[in-house]
Amino acid sequence: MVNTKEKHRLVVCSAEELQEGNRQLIEVNGVEIGLIRAEGIIYAFRNSCPHQGVPMLYGSVVGTMLPSKPHEYVYAHHNEIIRCPLHGWEFNLKTGKAMFSPDVSIKTYEIKEENGEIVLYLDKEPKQVTRKAFSCILSS
Amino acid sequence: MVTPSTRTSGLIDCDIHPVLSDFNELVPYLDESIQQYMNIGKFAKGALAKQNSGSFKFPSSPYANPLPVPLRADAFPPNGDIPGSDPAFLAQDLLDRCNTTYGILNIGHGTMAAFHNVEVAAKYTSAANDWLYDKWVKSDPRYRMTMEVTPLDPAMAVKEIERIGKRPEIVGINLHCVNIPLGKRHYWPIYEIAEAYNLPIVLHPDSEGTGEYAATAGVGPASTYMEWHTSLGLIGQRNVISLVCDGVFEQFPNLKVNFIEYGFSWVAPTMWRMDKNWKALRHEVPWLKMLPSEYIRRNIRFGTQPIEEPARPKDLIEIIQMIGAEHMLLFCSDYPHWDGDEIDRAFLHFPQDLKDKIFYHNPLESFRF
Repeated sequence: MVNTKEKHRLVVCSAEELQEGNRQLIEVNGVEIGLIRAEGIIYAFRNSCPHQGVPMLYGSVVGTMLPSKPHEYVYAHHNEIIRCPLHGWEFNLKTGKAMFSPDVSIKTYEIKEENGEIVLYLDKEPKQVTRKAFSCILSS
Repeated sequence: MVTPSTRTSGLIDCDIHPVLSDFNELVPYLDESIQQYMNIGKFAKGALAKQNSGSFKFPSSPYANPLPVPLRADAFPPNGDIPGSDPAFLAQDLLDRCNTTYGILNIGHGTMAAFHNVEVAAKYTSAANDWLYDKWVKSDPRYRMTMEVTPLDPAMAVKEIERIGKRPEIVGINLHCVNIPLGKRHYWPIYEIAEAYNLPIVLHPDSEGTGEYAATAGVGPASTYMEWHTSLGLIGQRNVISLVCDGVFEQFPNLKVNFIEYGFSWVAPTMWRMDKNWKALRHEVPWLKMLPSEYIRRNIRFGTQPIEEPARPKDLIEIIQMIGAEHMLLFCSDYPHWDGDEIDRAFLHFPQDLKDKIFYHNPLESFRF
């Protein structure tokens, strides 16, 4: 753990452990953070849907339809959307915002791949860190 | 009598039912082909009328009202004809008594909407519109009318609207309910001209259960008139959902749809359920840009009659607040039907400003005045 500038740097796992389609779960200071790689991009998000608290790590990563004219379908955001596994709420992995309202979101975290390591940059010092096991059929 | 002192606004009664005394009243408005089809005028079949399929039978509800007198027994005109058949008596018995500013006539013979012969239905509908205009609207300056159209043939409906829809006394389009949900693009030509003419669509029970194209009542046929009547709200609910989900109010943002006589207490849970589902399933209806409930509040209005009567009357006020329906409710007497509402008794628990909206301001905004 290294404190760089304002953020606190936390190495989560090796890049090999978060390959395309892989998911990882870590608990930092009592808060679960889910990690996922989709289309080569790594994302980190709070592992709790703001609706009923279900773990988002079990959500499908998908694309969706953009707002359109009546009876037109415009597909976009391919594999940039994670859906809550319970009610299907869509969240943009890049922004954390729900597709149905910018006022609803899951917290996202700054995450980078650096020298073969997956690194989180956190606002608060990570005092308690635990890698957690989980079983998700959607993981490859 | 309701005196002006008990009200602080005008009064627009959004649902008054005129009826034909006899189908022969339409003879002047129908060509011989339809007279012959309907066995009216010189084409009456006499004795054969009682034979099965021996003559034309006007589509009517198979659910007979079981009351001894299924219309207001205090509304028979002096000549003994059917309640709702005499324009002058109705004006006196309802409009004078209630100090009504405007009374909107919704013709009580809309069962033709679900009739199997659409050509006949369309010509009948045009004739009924002309009869209503000539006999009723011209008889008293307080009368306004909705014009009927044939829901099964939008092209003919559009022609009918083009024919008479600009008359200032016509304040809405009485569409009627068939087995095609209201959101379907089938209806969009009608909605397009309705929006252009600033005429709201009015949906009023009439054809439910009466013809081959009638809408189904939820799970299946009702056993009794009570079951049928109570189930009408389900049909209203289904059509509200259809209108919103199929994007009608994205395509026609200024269109108003007035649901008359389908109740309104069910609107709050319908909104809640739709809003919840939209958060999960919006990708299936991506044309909806805001919560379904917001479209309902913006574009749909509801008649008050038959007013729902909870055990604690003020519960109804709370439901109105839950819906946000203060601007959405339209006063309807439903005169001379058995389930109508008396204006000075049905709203005793309503605050004055809400009554002013329901009695006058909401109808003024929702119909074309």
